[in-house]
Amino acid sequence: MEQIKKTLKKFILENILFDDNDNALDYDDSFLEKGIIDSTGVLEVVNFIEEEFEISVEDEELVPENLDSVNNLARFIHSKKGNTSQV
Amino acid sequence: MLFKYLSDWADTHTDKILVTQGSRTVTYGEVARSVMQIATFFLKQGVRPGDRICIVLDNSPEYISSYIGVHRAGGIAVAVCPQYSPFEFRKIFNDCLPSAVIVDKKYVKHVLDAVSEGTSIQAIIIMEDSDVQSSSAARSGITSRHSNIRFYSVRDVINTPDCKIEYPVCNEKDVASIIYTSGTTGEPKGVMLSNENLMINARSIIEYLQLTEKDRIMGILPFYYSYGTSLLTTHIIAGGSIVLENSFMYPNQVLDRMFAESVTGFAGVPSTFAILLNRSNIRKYTFPSLRYITQAGGAMSPLHAKEISEILPGADIFIMYGQTEATARLTYLEPRDFHYRPWSIGKAIPGVDIELIKEDGTIAKTGEVGEIVARGGNIMVGYWNRPEETDKVLKDGRLYTGDLAVRDEEGFLKIISRRSDIIKSGAHRINPREIEEVILELPEVHEVAVAGKDDAILGMVIKACIVLKDGQGLDARKVQRHCHNKLAPFKLPKEVVFVDELPKTGTGKIRRHLINDLGAGIGSTG
Repeated sequence: MEQIKKTLKKFILENILFDDNDNALDYDDSFLEKGIIDSTGVLEVVNFIEEEFEISVEDEELVPENLDSVNNLARFIHSKKGNTSQV
Repeated sequence: MLFKYLSDWADTHTDKILVTQGSRTVTYGEVARSVMQIATFFLKQGVRPGDRICIVLDNSPEYISSYIGVHRAGGIAVAVCPQYSPFEFRKIFNDCLPSAVIVDKKYVKHVLDAVSEGTSIQAIIIMEDSDVQSSSAARSGITSRHSNIRFYSVRDVINTPDCKIEYPVCNEKDVASIIYTSGTTGEPKGVMLSNENLMINARSIIEYLQLTEKDRIMGILPFYYSYGTSLLTTHIIAGGSIVLENSFMYPNQVLDRMFAESVTGFAGVPSTFAILLNRSNIRKYTFPSLRYITQAGGAMSPLHAKEISEILPGADIFIMYGQTEATARLTYLEPRDFHYRPWSIGKAIPGVDIELIKEDGTIAKTGEVGEIVARGGNIMVGYWNRPEETDKVLKDGRLYTGDLAVRDEEGFLKIISRRSDIIKSGAHRINPREIEEVILELPEVHEVAVAGKDDAILGMVIKACIVLKDGQGLDARKVQRHCHNKLAPFKLPKEVVFVDELPKTGTGKIRRHLINDLGAGIGSTG
């Protein structure tokens, strides 16, 4: 999980926030409330996690509970990977 | 005037809900009271007719009260995109010289950073429910540059003591609002709209959409653009309601709200519908109350339009065209015509005359290409402090839109091309020169050209082509980071390529339409 979080944070800092400062994003920061990501940014994040973690995100999974923070994303990816490996 | 309609509805339907946001509902009566509190506050602060007051707020009940409250005080409401960087705010503050700014606590820092020495701003009202003295948002950014500015909170506004105050008489011709658009030089231009402009355009839209007090629109478009403003004005005049969702990040949430709130209308730009079709559950929903959809802000792909009409068979689809300089709307396509002419922007809205004028100044015949030239009570007063720019587009009371179109034998208009280089990305209109100027600040850059690149979701994304000075090197990421520091996030180039030279005409003008083909695979990103 920790490695997933680090990968996600690095992607968001480099590609969305364009910020070198590691403190610019906390794992628990809500992307929506803090205005970190907009409607197109979320699609970038989804494309990234689909490629990076080799998962497929369904339309009904595009909800804040899955995507709205690094922690939520990491939990979501972890559960998707777990489900995939059981199939 | 807008506040007159608001107060009339508040008198007769005090408890009718005007706006819903999350679990919060605000009635006509409550908004009308807030409007009077804000107007009284500003009048007591010495605001005079014609003073500019900037509004830096997301869509919210407070935005509505502030916008109309400024009008009621006789001021000019200048709504500014809250996502702007300090650099962008400064341009607008220096242009319209506001006497006050109303700002959400989230955006205070950028506003304070934008304030220059000798600023015109005398008061900043922070939308935060605490005393200014205890407001961390305010305290964190105040420096000696702000020593002449008075800071207030919402509480100060609400607690303004009642007193006998003379409210100014507002004239139809008075400028009520300035909306900044991308200028031709890279500097933003302020479109001045009068009370009359706002009212006439709104009544016309109400007429063709047949809006009534029973209507309830899903409002996802920002009020600080003309399309969003028109949702606000039309629904207040009609006595309808607005359901607000400030983010389209999670479209399924918006769809849930549309269903739960039984909305009757939905307004979007092409990217809204692209996102709904490609990244939402829209096919699994039915919306029994939804009676119409409007689309403006650029051409929607015919494929998307067809899909939307199939998914939402009960909703009429109105394709619309307009400009901020025309308050919002100039033409619309009747839903019954949509299936036969999905390529068309329809015909002039009620109260607007449209002619197509050829380059030689004569009127285009059927099938001939001409510039869309419009006349009507919705045409702007002019650009703020830019008489020369105004004269270029307003001639004999007619607006020269710069867009080229043809008219068929039945009078339906079709856009052929847009003369300006403006990039339409999502709900935003972006001037490439503004981005070029920022990139040129990098010492390694010799020349740069920015243009829109086609994108399936956003309509366009921004592409920058850079020629470096001899012997210089530059990383695309550094370019994006520099833009990020100076510009709103939606103005960031998604793709940066380095090329040996830019395509130009014989007179040295950049041929932007060729930018798309440049530099594929050469040091590009994104």
